[in-house]
Amino acid sequence: MMKRIQAELSFLRALVGVNLASAMEYRASFISQIVGMFINNGIYFIFWIIFFNQFGTVRGYNMDEIFLLFAIVTLGYGLGFMFAGNTRQYMAYLVAQGRLDYYLVFPRNLLLHVIFSKMIVSTVGDVAFGLIAYSFTGRFTLVEIALFLSTAVLAAIIFVGYSVITGSLAFYMGNAQYASQQMTNAMLTFSLYPNSLFSGAARMMLYTVIPAAFVGSVPVDIVRYQDGRLLLLLLAAAVAVWLVALAMFYYGLRRYESGSAINVNV
Amino acid sequence: MLLQLRRTTTKYSAITMTNLQNQLAYVWEALNRAVFIILIMFVFIQLWTAVYESQGATEIAGLSLSATIWYFLIAEVMELGKIRHDERISEEVKDGSVAYTLTRPYNYLAYHFFNGLGETAVKMTLIFLLGLPLVVYYAGWPTLQPQHALPVLLVAALAMLLDFFVFSIIGLLAFVTEDTFSFRLIYQKLVFILGGLMLPLDFLPAWLQPLARVLPFNLTTYAPAKLFVAFTWAQFWQILALQAIWLTIFGLVLLRQYRWATRQLVVNGG
Repeated sequence: MMKRIQAELSFLRALVGVNLASAMEYRASFISQIVGMFINNGIYFIFWIIFFNQFGTVRGYNMDEIFLLFAIVTLGYGLGFMFAGNTRQYMAYLVAQGRLDYYLVFPRNLLLHVIFSKMIVSTVGDVAFGLIAYSFTGRFTLVEIALFLSTAVLAAIIFVGYSVITGSLAFYMGNAQYASQQMTNAMLTFSLYPNSLFSGAARMMLYTVIPAAFVGSVPVDIVRYQDGRLLLLLLAAAVAVWLVALAMFYYGLRRYESGSAINVNV
Repeated sequence: MLLQLRRTTTKYSAITMTNLQNQLAYVWEALNRAVFIILIMFVFIQLWTAVYESQGATEIAGLSLSATIWYFLIAEVMELGKIRHDERISEEVKDGSVAYTLTRPYNYLAYHFFNGLGETAVKMTLIFLLGLPLVVYYAGWPTLQPQHALPVLLVAALAMLLDFFVFSIIGLLAFVTEDTFSFRLIYQKLVFILGGLMLPLDFLPAWLQPLARVLPFNLTTYAPAKLFVAFTWAQFWQILALQAIWLTIFGLVLLRQYRWATRQLVVNGG
């Protein structure tokens, strides 16, 4: 068992290494995508600075919470898709086009092989931005830093799990590229706004269908209030998202039809 | 002379109609992309409702909550419906196919503009129609007077043209830099803040407003949206004058850059 896990881990390490090397092949594009994403996040940051400067605290949120929210969401999103980027619309495309054959013939864990086969280069900018954003929060005790890092890792796990769910929709509805892209975008968009803005059914949705609360507001509260119970809840949410993701993917796989396409992965 | 004009008009309107038909043939795909407006409008409505509540105000900088919600719908229609031809130009420059497209019997930039119009018409209509139910539910119907509709449409049309000039300049930069991703991104993000996409200019800090008002970014997004929700003739003439100035500046830059770029092109037969 341990040997198997070790073999899988070394395989994944090799996959990530190859992804990174191939992304860095085009150096100018690699750097411009990272810098571009950094600027992109920075502009949203400037928006919030102006916003809170003009309007003060809104529903319990002010700039301090936004620094923390951005730090956790961008680091979580970045870590998730930097390593496991072959999900959402990319996975939906593979399924719809019958291009999973390439992965099916390998004696490796199928889902891990698929999702770790792509690196989203711009997410390196997200990771850098998340770490820099955290430096503005002024929360530098060991407990706070540990909570920040662990919630960001859990957010990454939830982001990837949710994007496996949206990508797996292709098994059931055929062309699900747009649907999966929109759903993951929705999760990211909602996660970057204070949870307290939403109420009723919309709020319920952020804990279920689009679990944005678990990658944004809940981690922020964990770090703010150093709340261990909430951390356990977040862990449970990550497990739940992945159970649904595994069920959706492997149950859907039974419906998969090969495209019999000649597929060359370079 | 008149015959020539008629031929030119027929040619470019045919280009627009062809792309319009293409877009309508794949309207489901366009609809899928436009669905994003529902999400973003929902978030904006919640955010600005909370702001008006926390301020305990019925108006902020002269805009009511309803006007602010309508402002964001029009601003998003302008932003998401833009002609995005710069990527196509960069691709053509990078893969060399620009050598073929330049020799075709039409003006290269005019082709992209009229081709983009077909796509933009479908995109803007879909985005507006998808956002409309949510906005009407939360903000009611707009208060735009019928006599102000034409001036607003004129400003919106000039906004699209201005935006087209800027995106063309960015696209043609591919002759120098090959990859234009970062230029596009920086321009788009400047429109987010200084163009009024995320905040109406009236909500910006007092020190930033005068600068944002004279820069071109607000003329592509803020200008039509603000006139739509709070039309004044004084602001209309001011915006029109600024649009004329920036169109002249960018038009001259584009013309120069286009001539320079076509001279750089070396075509080897074979």
